[in-house]
Amino acid sequence: MTKTYSRFLTAFFCVFLGGLLLWHILLPDREKSETENRTLAQVPEFSWESLRDGSYTAAVEEYFADQFPLRDDWTGLKARMEQLIGKSEFNGVYLCGDTLISKVETPDMELVEKNLGYIRRLAENTEIPVYLGLIPSAAEVWRDKLPKGAESWDQTELLEKSDIDFREALAAHAGEQVFYRTDHHWTTLGAYYGYTAVMEAFGRGGEIPGPDAFEHRVYPRSDQFQGTLYSQSGVHWLYPDTIEFWAEDTGLSVTSWRNGEPEEASLYELSYLDSKDKYSAFLGGNQPLCVIKNKSLPDSGKLLLIRDSYSDALAPFLAQSFSEVHLLDLRYYRGSAARYAEENGIDSICVLYSVQNFISDRNLVLLTQ
Amino acid sequence: MIFSSLTFLFAYLPLTLAVYFLAPLRWRNLVLLLVSLFFYGWGEPVYITIMVLSILIDYTHGLLVEKYRADDKKARWFVGQSVVFNLLLLGFFKYWDFLAANLSLLPGVSLPLLGIPLPIGISFFTFQTMSYTIDVYRRDAPVQRNIVSFGAFVTMFPQLIAGPIVKYKTVAAALDHRVHTAEDFALGARRFCVGLAKKVLLANSIGALWEACLAAQGAGTLTIASGWMGLLAFGFQIYFDFSGYSDMAIGLGRIFGFRFNENFDYPYLSASVTEFWRRWHMSLTSWFREYLYIPLGGNRGGTVRTLRNILIVWFCTGFWHGASWNFVLWGLYFALWLILEKYVFRRALERLPTFFKHFYTLAVVFVGWGIFAMEDLGVCGRYLAACFGGAPAWSAADGYRLRSYAVTFLALILASTTLGKRGWRKLPDWARKILTPALMALGLVVCTAYLVDGSYNPFLYFRF
Repeated sequence: MTKTYSRFLTAFFCVFLGGLLLWHILLPDREKSETENRTLAQVPEFSWESLRDGSYTAAVEEYFADQFPLRDDWTGLKARMEQLIGKSEFNGVYLCGDTLISKVETPDMELVEKNLGYIRRLAENTEIPVYLGLIPSAAEVWRDKLPKGAESWDQTELLEKSDIDFREALAAHAGEQVFYRTDHHWTTLGAYYGYTAVMEAFGRGGEIPGPDAFEHRVYPRSDQFQGTLYSQSGVHWLYPDTIEFWAEDTGLSVTSWRNGEPEEASLYELSYLDSKDKYSAFLGGNQPLCVIKNKSLPDSGKLLLIRDSYSDALAPFLAQSFSEVHLLDLRYYRGSAARYAEENGIDSICVLYSVQNFISDRNLVLLTQ
Repeated sequence: MIFSSLTFLFAYLPLTLAVYFLAPLRWRNLVLLLVSLFFYGWGEPVYITIMVLSILIDYTHGLLVEKYRADDKKARWFVGQSVVFNLLLLGFFKYWDFLAANLSLLPGVSLPLLGIPLPIGISFFTFQTMSYTIDVYRRDAPVQRNIVSFGAFVTMFPQLIAGPIVKYKTVAAALDHRVHTAEDFALGARRFCVGLAKKVLLANSIGALWEACLAAQGAGTLTIASGWMGLLAFGFQIYFDFSGYSDMAIGLGRIFGFRFNENFDYPYLSASVTEFWRRWHMSLTSWFREYLYIPLGGNRGGTVRTLRNILIVWFCTGFWHGASWNFVLWGLYFALWLILEKYVFRRALERLPTFFKHFYTLAVVFVGWGIFAMEDLGVCGRYLAACFGGAPAWSAADGYRLRSYAVTFLALILASTTLGKRGWRKLPDWARKILTPALMALGLVVCTAYLVDGSYNPFLYFRF
């Protein structure tokens, strides 16, 4: 190696490392990451105590990684490299043609049994009928789309315990866009089939309006939805999803307890369509309690949904057939669900969970109070 | 701190290089000592005290050995003290819980488990400092009178936490007067990039396959095919992880003007188990040969003595790798094959066609990795039983795994041979000149992408 060439390589190495450091320092720190849907670590505060127990250096590493220049582009590059060498799994998400499907890991069966037990306990504690509704994940409904031999936990056995047959309702339409391609939720179409399953379970199958009944009421929609699987996988090259709003808002009163006080709300929170988290446009996302009343149907039953986020796309449909739909989130609502149901004259309780959430949830124990 | 982290690559390393090379020559050992202590304290700040203690004690013992050189009995006494101190340090921090748990199985014995976190690199630096006093006693190395230089040797961050085990005599001269050239820097940087790519791109990615196969064993879906795929994956993971780390250490050492010995020499090309151990983790095997096997008498005391010595050395080698029975078993497993090769079938092995020699060696080594990888001997036994026919041959999931990792496996196999090196040498000079920075850039960029992705932690409103 000649001296000049050695100097060139040396300079090149130093400029790469030092350059990124300089860039990191000059780049203003970001508050949060839209893509990752979380706040990013900030410069940690120094204390001798945190240095001694090792939490300070860990916080520095986290800060350094969280604020790294071009963070999202690096992950995109990694996904591209993985695709290039023949991988079809990206951070727990399978790339199946133009669709991302989340892999379901084998659950802790003890937890699953416990969760099923809590629901039985709820049914024993109250006079009101309790229905369990388990919503299969895309990996189950679209098993055929998964790469050949790709593993995902078999949900069939658990789904048989569901009182509402979402599996059949979705499987019958597996050829349609019942889940988003870049997000783990069901689409409005999927939620519509879910609605038919709920109605069937209540013996009200005859009342279901056909899809055409909604078609003339297509709300402003987004065709730029890049969901959770887009974020999780780093696969950034698929075209975005479309969000549709079918059920109409008129004649309904929506009350949200987002901040502990009842506030008037609506079925669709349009401001979310301008953010990354577009799915939260359905009912405005997470909240302890939300009540939808349909004044034109005074005697069609009052329903309490113990919700996860799948219910947000489903509730607008249910509001078309029930006098009242109450959505209660066990993460934020710490009171007794059974008492709430009795105090509000609820006719039926539905514990509605997607399988992925049900098998990992640790809040269902609250149902036993 | 580890080399394959964003903080090391883009904060610690550039700043350290800047401070080191801006400092005047005579201050550089001090700089090296301070940045190394910082590096060490990053993970467990409290353990800097162990490091400082270790420096002080071994430094003093070196001086004492030198001082009482005329009185051999006294000199030996001080060497002994240093060895005992280092072994106690290692024994307490690394083996206490293991010994306590096993001794408590005896009736009437009850020792508490302490659950102390293992100080990083303790297996490496205790061996290095032991070699110092012994080398001084044997006159293989001059005594180091400057405590800063000695401290720089003990803590030197390039090899501090994962080797290679650098004997004092290897770097003694460079510690006191070394030259820094642009060529050393450039070659060191290139070597560092190679090591980084081996660790981040090859080892980490094939490691995921091993995890999947181990999980399949737990779920009862392991097949013969995935069993062997898993062993291959682990064997490649540990080789590229460890040799990648050694490459980075050697490269960094060279940047700072030190020449460490090589630690790996294409071990998977070996044609016998004996040869494998001449090519694998060479700094450890040579340490044990020099400071244990030969002092025990080596192979000069007849067959029984030799057998005993081999068993002791391989018991220690296994146990050095971790405080668990499987490592002991792993060491003795190799002792068995080495003894067989030495006394039973050396002739037969020599007459075998080359292909079979390699096949036999790799089979022994990779089954060995199974023992190494699974601390729970029950799991290990069931896993290996599956590999040897106690499971269905094949499942659809194996096809998926094979497709997903085919390119990676191909890359691993090629990188385990000298093909790349030979091809590189055949290239014309100008092509290498262009390709070197291009490949370094590619390696650094792709590694950065993988490292950033590793820290990527989307909070998905998955839960709700």
